[in-house]
Amino acid sequence: MGLVRRHLHLAHSLLRASFMADLEYRANLAVKIVTDIIWYAAMLSVFEVLFRHTSTISGWTIDTTRVFMGILFLVDALWMILFSENLDRFSEKIRRGDLDMYLTKPVNAQFMLSLQKWMVAYVGNLLIVLGWLAWSLSRLPDGVPWERLPLLLVVVPCALLITYSIRFVFATSALIFTRADALNYIWYQIYRLGTRPDAIYPPAVRIVLLTILPVGFVASVPARVVVQGEGIWLVGVMIAFASAAVWLSTRFWKYALRFYTSASS
Amino acid sequence: MLETRSRAASLRGLWRRSVGSARLAVLSQFEYRFNLIADTVIQPVLTAVVEVALWWALFWSIGTAAGLAAGEATLGGFGRDYYLSYALWAAFFSRIYASWMYEFRMTEEIDTGAVNSILVRPLGFYEYYLAQFMAYKVMTAAITLSVWLVFTQFFDSQTIFSRLPLALALAFFHLFLVHTISFCIASCAFFYNRVHSFTVAKNISLWMLSGELFPLDLMPEPLRSILINLPFACGVYVPVGYVTGRFGAERVWSGFLSIAIGLVVFGLLASVLWNAGRRRYTGQGA
Repeated sequence: MGLVRRHLHLAHSLLRASFMADLEYRANLAVKIVTDIIWYAAMLSVFEVLFRHTSTISGWTIDTTRVFMGILFLVDALWMILFSENLDRFSEKIRRGDLDMYLTKPVNAQFMLSLQKWMVAYVGNLLIVLGWLAWSLSRLPDGVPWERLPLLLVVVPCALLITYSIRFVFATSALIFTRADALNYIWYQIYRLGTRPDAIYPPAVRIVLLTILPVGFVASVPARVVVQGEGIWLVGVMIAFASAAVWLSTRFWKYALRFYTSASS
Repeated sequence: MLETRSRAASLRGLWRRSVGSARLAVLSQFEYRFNLIADTVIQPVLTAVVEVALWWALFWSIGTAAGLAAGEATLGGFGRDYYLSYALWAAFFSRIYASWMYEFRMTEEIDTGAVNSILVRPLGFYEYYLAQFMAYKVMTAAITLSVWLVFTQFFDSQTIFSRLPLALALAFFHLFLVHTISFCIASCAFFYNRVHSFTVAKNISLWMLSGELFPLDLMPEPLRSILINLPFACGVYVPVGYVTGRFGAERVWSGFLSIAIGLVVFGLLASVLWNAGRRRYTGQGA
């Protein structure tokens, strides 16, 4: 319990420090927020344009797809606030030898590496996304599924943890390959697979996306739980996957550390 | 006479130095071979899989709704096989125009002051990175293309191979524009401490404007006409549309013109930013 309290206290301190650091580079911050909004616009434009030419894509209508996108953006906004900045710079930290500093601190190094820098400004994006999600839910033909909405409080954090775990494994692989910039791009391509409803993929790809590379859990499964009410058992599966994913990412981190040779003097 | 000779010597020198920079770029890529394979093969293949899956599902849905087989359904006047070919080639051409690594490097050099070492060299900052960027793109495009030629046979895609050289020429001419925009963004580092997010914003905007996400002519008017005539469409939409037979060579030639205009506009902007930035910059250290 004391350990959890200590880490929560640390997270709070990191949040405060991040907020102050964010305010130091205001132009960069503003562009980052706008960039994310452009990304939302790009992602939405694909389906908005395609649904001008068809009423359904693999069982998904424009209304359900908008909810799907809302959940995807919600997970993304949380991701950007908590983990994005930290894991995007992971490879650089290894190359420059900054990792030594984290490994020698009396706190969990994975915790510090993953949560050292919060992007507080993305709270603005989070509010925009919540507005979009509320609007898209209200446009569903059967009305807002009120009875299933509380499940979002479980499935969204699970989706976030699954995303974190996969991304962390990709980032950690820089310990083995030294220069793993391209791995970051591969991660992004794999993540892109999760930015489309899983129903559009052939069965074999779908199985991969729900097992080995579980990006299908980022938005597809949460959207199916909330919109299509596909059963409470999917929530249980998500919790199990999230727990397993975090555990595996920690194991991989410990394994990859064996390859680390300090780059600093 | 003497002046002409010295100009020729100066051009020869510039060429030699550019070739040296280009060689450096190629060698440094081979240093990290896994990174190279991921960059040239794995990443574009994954992109193609994602996009092909989307179009496949879309045509299956359109066909089912219209009581047709997926292969018989059409969208915007073109059938499924056409869109699968578009998705396949868009993944290839988008790898050519994407500019992350060198833009980040240019920005970092200005940001950290490492630009000093380049400023004192007899090769300009723009030319130094242009040579490296082009060499890197030629090498990676050649590797990816060899995989794509197999891919297109496998998918039996609608590709007019005789059109590939002109499409590639357009894509590589477009790279001059991409590099000039990168140079503009890097020059902003003279004025702001952190401009990495500018690169991300630019690349996501190009992702939308180039036609990588979907053929731009599926857009509603007047957005459609505006986007098609912008030089950014020459990154993906124009070369892919030409190779897959969506339109003829006249659009490619107008693409060259559009890029030339873009080069003048962004070239002027780059010149203003670079000169203003250099006036503001104080180099320190050896």
